[in-house]
Amino acid sequence: MASRAAEAGGRGSTVSRRPGERARTAYLYLLPGFLIYVVFVLLPVAQTVGYSFTEWDGFSAAKWTGLKNYRDLLDDKLFLGAVGHNLVLIVFYTVFPIALALLLTSLLTRRSIKGMNLFRAGLFVPQVMSMVVVGVVWRWIYNPVSGPLNQVLRGAGLDAWARPWLGDPKLALPAVGAIGTWVSFGFALVLFIAGVQRIDEDLYDAAKLDGANGIQQFLAITLPALRNEVTVVLVTLMISALRTFDLIYVTTRGGPANRTMVVAFLLYKNAFTINRAGYAAAIAVVLTIVILIVSYVVITVRMRTSEEA
Amino acid sequence: MRTGTHSRRTMLKATAGAAALGLAGARPAARRAAAQETTLTVWDNWTRDVDSAMIDKLNAAFTEQTGIKLNRTSKSFDDLKATAKLALSSDDGPDVVQINQGLSDMGAMVKAGILSDLTPLSKQFGWDKVLPPSMAARNSFSADGKVFGEGNLWGMPITAEFVGVYYSKQKMADLGLKPATTFDEFEQSLAAAKAKGEIPIQWGDLDGWPAIHTYGTIQHLYVDKAYLDDFIYGRNNVSFVIPENVKAGEKSQEWVKADYFTPDFAGIGYDDSWTAFKGGQGLYMITGSWISAELKNAADPGFGFMLMPPLAADKPNLHVAGTGMAYAIRKSSAQQDAAAQYINFLVSKPSADELATTGIIPLAVDPALAPEGSLYGDIVAAWQSIMKNDTAGHYLDWATPTFYDTIVAGLTDLFGLNITPEQFVQQMQDDYGKFLATQQGA
Repeated sequence: MASRAAEAGGRGSTVSRRPGERARTAYLYLLPGFLIYVVFVLLPVAQTVGYSFTEWDGFSAAKWTGLKNYRDLLDDKLFLGAVGHNLVLIVFYTVFPIALALLLTSLLTRRSIKGMNLFRAGLFVPQVMSMVVVGVVWRWIYNPVSGPLNQVLRGAGLDAWARPWLGDPKLALPAVGAIGTWVSFGFALVLFIAGVQRIDEDLYDAAKLDGANGIQQFLAITLPALRNEVTVVLVTLMISALRTFDLIYVTTRGGPANRTMVVAFLLYKNAFTINRAGYAAAIAVVLTIVILIVSYVVITVRMRTSEEA
Repeated sequence: MRTGTHSRRTMLKATAGAAALGLAGARPAARRAAAQETTLTVWDNWTRDVDSAMIDKLNAAFTEQTGIKLNRTSKSFDDLKATAKLALSSDDGPDVVQINQGLSDMGAMVKAGILSDLTPLSKQFGWDKVLPPSMAARNSFSADGKVFGEGNLWGMPITAEFVGVYYSKQKMADLGLKPATTFDEFEQSLAAAKAKGEIPIQWGDLDGWPAIHTYGTIQHLYVDKAYLDDFIYGRNNVSFVIPENVKAGEKSQEWVKADYFTPDFAGIGYDDSWTAFKGGQGLYMITGSWISAELKNAADPGFGFMLMPPLAADKPNLHVAGTGMAYAIRKSSAQQDAAAQYINFLVSKPSADELATTGIIPLAVDPALAPEGSLYGDIVAAWQSIMKNDTAGHYLDWATPTFYDTIVAGLTDLFGLNITPEQFVQQMQDDYGKFLATQQGA
């Protein structure tokens, strides 16, 4: 507070300043950060866009090919398949975790539970673990012979349900997606619980007096109050679903037969294993644009609805 | 296919005991005439503890002999693959790098003109005595990098790698079996093991690449060397759609349907599969010589190794085989002579014997260092028979720059019984035909 007052005083004293001067000084303060941003973010982005118009192996001279890479992308079954898989992963990364987290939020916050903090910390653990560790752990869980999942199923007499999870053509993608859900929902939960704690307890008391049951209270009070949190979680998780790379790299490498191939892994393969850096750049550009559009749409919709409210 | 094998190696804990290293007595007189101090920067793939210690020991001996200092960095296969090209095209990159062969690595580097031609060195140092023509071919490209399998030598490997059949000696004895001498006998032994409730072939294909070795081993029974060389080196417009390849696909599916592989193999990783094999699950495991170091210290009676037996006893079949990664020299390096000396040192007999003592198979292996009846002895004998009969086949994924992904996907579906052998060979041909067309168009 004291420092802010001093600042205000300082500002007040610079009376004889020409128009625009203050802005210029402010830009000067921004300059160091901006330079770093230009060198490490904007220039590489511009370079990537440039390379996306070339045929380039990643280390010798690039050849200008215009929009060819983008046209090829539209015909590339592997790329289109990967886009589809990313869309499926969005469901696993956002819809399921948010639904699950909302359910748990309403259960965990309306009653005082002993050891509540322990539960919260436990549910958040997947989120702080490295994706590589998560992948290795789940590869073990899904191991058809020695993994606990199949052993539990067999132990319960459900032998017919035991599967080679990550190697099964139909189940591999949902199996990888389930890992995404497991990782993401702790993040959603922590934000939602924090959000709920801001809600005025009087609202619930009033609702109870009016005879609202738990579900009605949740729909009328909790959910609307959590709109900001839901938006943040939605955008963050959607982006992480679209960017999925490490999980695939560790668990399936895109297999079986490309059924878990995702855009970011395809990008990596093109850039680093088959020397199609130009094509990989085009994939990167498309992925970036899609992520920007998705984020923009979600945030705009959210702003509009909050204005209406 | 070595992507898997090398990256896999990096994940393994070194289990072999520290080998007794020492080159005493084998050292030529030290050449310390070089007044100026020379330092070579070397990137290699010796990442396992035991291997790394061995190379460090060899490097120390090299420095003592020549006065040339070494600045060594070891990188995993994936790391090397991703960084070697940029490093070799930089003017202050490493002088010597172990590189992967094939079109998308060595071929691309030759095309970009960043590798030194090793052909003159090979003649000067007599490397051709260590590297037989079939092995030299896979390290050769035309000067423009377009034609694989002929032309100049761009990298010098020092080790051999090949795929064969490991067997549990205990289970062989329990089932009353002897190592098969024909493919028929081999299949009978599979049926016998199955009948006794044993897993005939331990296998995990979650990583995808092991299928290249399994299918390749079966396919190499039916095809001949001329066809396979043509196919890999892109010569004579051969096709993948031939009855032999279909037959190999049928045999693969026959084994799946007969439950000869580990149940649910599609969901089991390679490391999990060899660990299970080592732990006593399975009569056989079809995989590469690289795994021997992990299996050699198993409890008695341990494991034996044989090559896949031929269809007819008097007609030797081909085997999936090749060399380890190749040592290459950066063209812009100012230390060409020192780099050549270093590679020659690694190729020399004292170094080869050091590799053998560590349990690795040098190209020119001294059989005296491989005790008969031991796993290493079996493997060395197998390599010598491949060399003697000229039956080295190929890793199929080298056929085109994209063939690794294509064949891994196709084989996953083939072994998963999702496509027919005819569909499989057609899928492979789609990739291969497209590649041939661009080669000829270029």
